[in-house]
Amino acid sequence: MRALLNLIQIEFCKLRRKKLIWLMLLSAFVMPFFAFLYFRYFGNTGLDPVMFYKWSAFGYTIFIILPFVLGVLSIMLIHDENRYDMLKQLWIVPVSKMGYFFSKFFVVLIYSICFMLITALASVLFSVIPNYVEFEWSSILFLVEKCIEIGVLTAFATLPILATSVSQEGYILPVCVTLIYVFAGIFIVQVNAYFHPLSCILVIIARNGVIPGGLPEINVILALLIICVWGSFSILLANITLARESKVE
Amino acid sequence: MGLLLWAELQKLRRSNIILVNIFATILVAMFVFFSGKTTVYDSHAVGWYMTIALVWSTIFVLPAVIALLGSYMICREEQDDTIKSLRLIPINEAKLTVAKMIVTFIFSILVYLLLFTITFLTEAVLHFSDLSLEVILSFLKMYFLQGIGVFLVVSPIIAIAPYLKKSYWLSLVLAEIYSFAGLFMSMSNISKTFYPITAVFGVSGYYDTTTRDWIYSAIVLLLCGCLSIFLLNGLNHRQKRKKSNEEIV
Repeated sequence: MRALLNLIQIEFCKLRRKKLIWLMLLSAFVMPFFAFLYFRYFGNTGLDPVMFYKWSAFGYTIFIILPFVLGVLSIMLIHDENRYDMLKQLWIVPVSKMGYFFSKFFVVLIYSICFMLITALASVLFSVIPNYVEFEWSSILFLVEKCIEIGVLTAFATLPILATSVSQEGYILPVCVTLIYVFAGIFIVQVNAYFHPLSCILVIIARNGVIPGGLPEINVILALLIICVWGSFSILLANITLARESKVE
Repeated sequence: MGLLLWAELQKLRRSNIILVNIFATILVAMFVFFSGKTTVYDSHAVGWYMTIALVWSTIFVLPAVIALLGSYMICREEQDDTIKSLRLIPINEAKLTVAKMIVTFIFSILVYLLLFTITFLTEAVLHFSDLSLEVILSFLKMYFLQGIGVFLVVSPIIAIAPYLKKSYWLSLVLAEIYSFAGLFMSMSNISKTFYPITAVFGVSGYYDTTTRDWIYSAIVLLLCGCLSIFLLNGLNHRQKRKKSNEEIV
């Protein structure tokens, strides 16, 4: 456990050199800004806060922005080490294969939560300052709670991309997989909400009917199970690939 | 120039990027079909599939795929350190960049034509008797113009990639957010005409536009093309300066 914590600490130290990762956090402002434009265009004021948050944090942020950013982050974390041939040195130390994988995953998880907290902050700013919604602590706490949930779940939903990045030397295939994975999430939710991890996140956060216009039938256990199944397969794939790679090297 | 184009095509043959992108386009077409068939759209209307596939692929996937190919081709010489060997030959770097942009341009058109072929064949299977030559030709024109237009609007992002050096990931994130923003820019007529991604739809004939708006949209696309020429020209000057400094040292 201590070794894993050390690895996570080292990962964060490495991140200090990557300015781009901090720049990517700016994309957390994209959907709150578009939600602001959308309600401005229709001239709506005195909105139900959840309606605004549905656009700014619970919609395309789950399906497009956050998974794409996390996908690119995962690829960057893995590809840069492959490119500079650092894996050999890590295996010599020795670093455990799954310790290496989970240290990357925890970086993605913490980044995802930070991203969603910034989205929550931006949502409040873009809704309260133009007077679209009234400032209420209860609605803000609801938003923060849901954003943390989304942050945690999306990091788990990004495990297949992280596993694909580990299994590939180049970055072309993982980037295309990220694009297709994100795209599939949007379209599969209309056909079957319990197949793709990203659509399962929508099921989980819309439980108890808290988000208007959500899915009619909600089975949280099944949605969690689907995320776990995809996650387990991804960990298995990463384990097999890393074991094979270390043998070759 | 012919030799440079041939060399670029040979290099692409060794990489799996083309195959991966073809596969991505086929998957995108499949997801749009199943989603459209089961839920939202009236699948008895002629051209429904060709229409929605064009929109969703342009908003979510293809601009990022084209930007990825372009930036990959331009950055790979620096990354793989083959630029030194090319300078020894010596290769005119400005011509090399132009050859890479031409290959990306051809690829952009071919990707859209591939998408057209898939959607047309599917439409033919679904309701062959209702398809007229006029409808087919109008869609073919739309897809062809979309291929040209999308290349022009993402070309500044491709041209930025060499400036970003190791941060070329940023160009990918930019391309995805840039194309996704098109979804919101179609809300008002002004943004629809002047925002590059939605301007492509106006020029290709997807939106019904007035002649004046069509001209404005075409000017926006040409300006994007000019911006990329300007950026690439600046890059060549910078490289020449760097080379002469090295010679002085």
